[in-house]
Amino acid sequence: MPKCTINGKEIEVKEGTTIIEAMYSNDQKIAHYCWHPGLSVAGVCRLCMCEIEGNPRLQIACNTVITEGMKVNNTSEKVRDAAKWGLDFHLINHPLDCPICDQAGECGLQDQYMEFGKYDPEMAERKQKKHKVVDLGPTVVLDSERCILCSRCVRFTDEVTKTSELGIFNRGDKSEIGTHDGKPLDNKYSLNTVDICPVGALTSKDFRFRQRVWYLKDQETVCNGCSTGCNVKAYFNKEGFYRVKPQHNAEVNGYWMCDEGRDVYKYVNREARWLKAQKRTSAGWEEMLPGAAAKDASSVVKANASGTALVLTGQYSSEEYESVLKTFTQELGTKKVFHWVNNSSSFDSFDGLLLRGDRNPNTKGLLTAMEKFGLPASKWADLEAGLANGSITTVVVAGPENQVWFPEMKQVIQTLSKAKNLIWMQTGKNAELESLSGNVWLIPMKSYVEKDGTFVNYKGLAQKFKKVTTVVSEALNLSEAAQLLAGQNLMIKPETSVLVETARPADRVMQEHRKKNEFVMKRGTL
Amino acid sequence: MSETKLLSEHYDKDEFIGLAGYKKHGGYEVLAKALKMQPQQIIDEVKASGLRGRGGAGFSTGTKWSFLPKNNEPRYLLCNADEGEPGTFKDRLMMERAPHQLIEGMIISSFAIGSKKSYIYVRGEYHYPIAVLEKAIREAYDAGLLGKNILGSGFDHDMDVYSGAGAYICGEETGMISSLEGLKGQPKLKPPFPAVQGYLRKPTIVNNVETLAAVVPIIKDGAAAYRKFGTEKSAGTKFFSLSGNVNKPGNYEVPLAYPMKDMIYKLGGGIRNGKKLKAVIPGGSSAPVLTAEEAEKVLLDYESIAAAGSMLGSGAIIVLDDSQCMVDCLANLTHFYHHESCGQCTPCREGTGWVDKIVHSILSGRGRLQDIDLLLKVADNMKGRTICALSDAAALPVISFVTKFRDEFEYYVREGRSKVKGTVLYAEMHH
Repeated sequence: MPKCTINGKEIEVKEGTTIIEAMYSNDQKIAHYCWHPGLSVAGVCRLCMCEIEGNPRLQIACNTVITEGMKVNNTSEKVRDAAKWGLDFHLINHPLDCPICDQAGECGLQDQYMEFGKYDPEMAERKQKKHKVVDLGPTVVLDSERCILCSRCVRFTDEVTKTSELGIFNRGDKSEIGTHDGKPLDNKYSLNTVDICPVGALTSKDFRFRQRVWYLKDQETVCNGCSTGCNVKAYFNKEGFYRVKPQHNAEVNGYWMCDEGRDVYKYVNREARWLKAQKRTSAGWEEMLPGAAAKDASSVVKANASGTALVLTGQYSSEEYESVLKTFTQELGTKKVFHWVNNSSSFDSFDGLLLRGDRNPNTKGLLTAMEKFGLPASKWADLEAGLANGSITTVVVAGPENQVWFPEMKQVIQTLSKAKNLIWMQTGKNAELESLSGNVWLIPMKSYVEKDGTFVNYKGLAQKFKKVTTVVSEALNLSEAAQLLAGQNLMIKPETSVLVETARPADRVMQEHRKKNEFVMKRGTL
Repeated sequence: MSETKLLSEHYDKDEFIGLAGYKKHGGYEVLAKALKMQPQQIIDEVKASGLRGRGGAGFSTGTKWSFLPKNNEPRYLLCNADEGEPGTFKDRLMMERAPHQLIEGMIISSFAIGSKKSYIYVRGEYHYPIAVLEKAIREAYDAGLLGKNILGSGFDHDMDVYSGAGAYICGEETGMISSLEGLKGQPKLKPPFPAVQGYLRKPTIVNNVETLAAVVPIIKDGAAAYRKFGTEKSAGTKFFSLSGNVNKPGNYEVPLAYPMKDMIYKLGGGIRNGKKLKAVIPGGSSAPVLTAEEAEKVLLDYESIAAAGSMLGSGAIIVLDDSQCMVDCLANLTHFYHHESCGQCTPCREGTGWVDKIVHSILSGRGRLQDIDLLLKVADNMKGRTICALSDAAALPVISFVTKFRDEFEYYVREGRSKVKGTVLYAEMHH
């Protein structure tokens, strides 16, 4: 364990640690573009220069391994001047089109310019012309003039996805990122290249031109796209959610997330949601407030308590499962609880990196809760049989949030609509449900970004997440809906986690981010 | 003083190219001797001879060899025959006139370092030397000098020629290794150094053509005999490629510490057309330029040229007479480095282009006075900031030309035309 001094602070590091890693893990600032903790070392941006005592030449921190007694500093005038020039070399051919660039506000060049730059540019020659608006594939657009050739995206496709679609073509200041002939950047993780691009060269087709980043707040949460449970940051403002980016968690997703997981924000925005509950009557659909609808439906549930079946998907939090099962088994006394397994043919598949066939964030949590309440893993066929022989008259469904991954949705609706009373709770719109006849209640639920809770991922790791914001204020969570369906009054009480410790290191960070991103206005006095 | 033909003694004879002729002049006798020695003995002998890398860096060859890990891991010997440094054409002569000398030197070196496979990486434009080498290697295989159990010693060795595609950067040892591996010819980040992890991530030694050929006389007559030439720190003989405005340009083999003045005026036959010497680039295009006064005083060895503020480099001496415009000459060099930068490291990728554009702005008559200092600042910040030395190679001529011939640059900016030639030398094209 070599000891070293970095900017006057004594640090002990593991054998083989590089200077930049030591600085990174000790919250010391160091400018860098090409180095990324999840990728190999390229050593090409030459920005992470530092001075090592006894060495007349500045060294790059990313490729210098710390040795015993090493004295490093990156705050001296010499280092700052080198960084300033390093930055200037990056900027001389940069188009400086920040006003129309999506990266503006979170751009490495802007950040470092505020730190090292603030000079008058001396470059008076013609800038290098390169390709703009290069369509790299279905998800990503490239602007070569903005590119600083840090090669992070190339290394990502080489080392992480191992698809090697990207390469650097040509030489010298004519170098450009590109794809090999006839092979677009098309893999399930392509948008990570946009995240790791330190400048505005790679932009996401989904996000570009939709929102300036300084109008977005962000908060950490857990992706509900599959049973991996990637830690993510959701970006939103009062108009809704705009994008999702991965957050580092070494135990779960490392630095990455899949492209499909980035789409989940779309299902929480108002356009996709039920805003009001609906009750089907002989006169047609009647709009109600969600709470009122649940209360209204409680009459049929209570009247048919023994014939009531509860269908659960793996899309809710452990706390909600706990609460809903408690209510149904203890208050209503029903034991007919069914697990809706979606996508059953590929349920157990895994793509080798992050994406799992079980497209539910909390299947594990659901199964644990069912076991806890002594509920046998009832078969789907029993449900169908019960509906056919009339032993099941009322079905309460906690439907999916991400309906795209429930390809059998239509078929399940057909099956369950045979019940005399159908109470369907879910977040998003569904044309099939809205065209049903008979006794139907459609009750809007809160999405995962609107509630606190815990997801237990495929390997049993419990991850707590906090409410990000409110999109549909009247929507219920599953606990509330269950209480109302059981005829109780809604009790407002602080949520308590049923699961003990969270594996996420991020609670502290989360709070800080929250503080940082709160739009606080100080009110004056007269 | 005339040449000292230690290596080039028989270069004038056509028969020396073929195996039979080479053997007639004592060829492959040294190999037979070497194969009876202990490998470590050869390394020690080379170390003792003071032989330094002839490709440009001038690093001690024996020391380089001793960096190899002492284990049985497979290792490679690569001969750097990329010879991309402008002004250098000595390796070409050696490959064309004495391919077997190189092959013999390589087999001995391979035996010393325990390599079973070597490659000669030849510059892409060198079609004829490649043909000569390939023929010579075939002859050597046929004669049992390559392949299994060479000369009954039990030592196996295979050799191949690999043609580059003409990129300057592939003359840099790790760039060459990348190219040989089939990758884009870009230098690799060091550490790890090639001696630890080189070609195919195996220990690798890269030596210049002239270095490997020089192993032959060293093993033949011993380190002490080799040390008779040159100085304590710069031992032996060296080829110099003399070019530019001299009467007799060409390759000359002289002992190190040979006077530059004699090189230009005696061997080179003096400056052409009765003109006066203006400047000399002493070690290939990346070596800082020397003024006439500096050049006439300097001796051709590593230390003397370094003391004069330049470097011996590959031994390419480019002579400029007083009809040359230094702004124009610098523009030629900056264009070259701008074109040849591999584009990996930002200071080099952007810096080479920047200085090239500034120099061409001056050359087209629209330079600004502050551009002259800007050139120095940019060049200064390209130095020592990159993975390989190309950035330094591009910066050094800029600094030396501008510092030593500042009046010509200032005149060009002020008057909008060359001080020497009297006209504008470059019409900028719209691109």
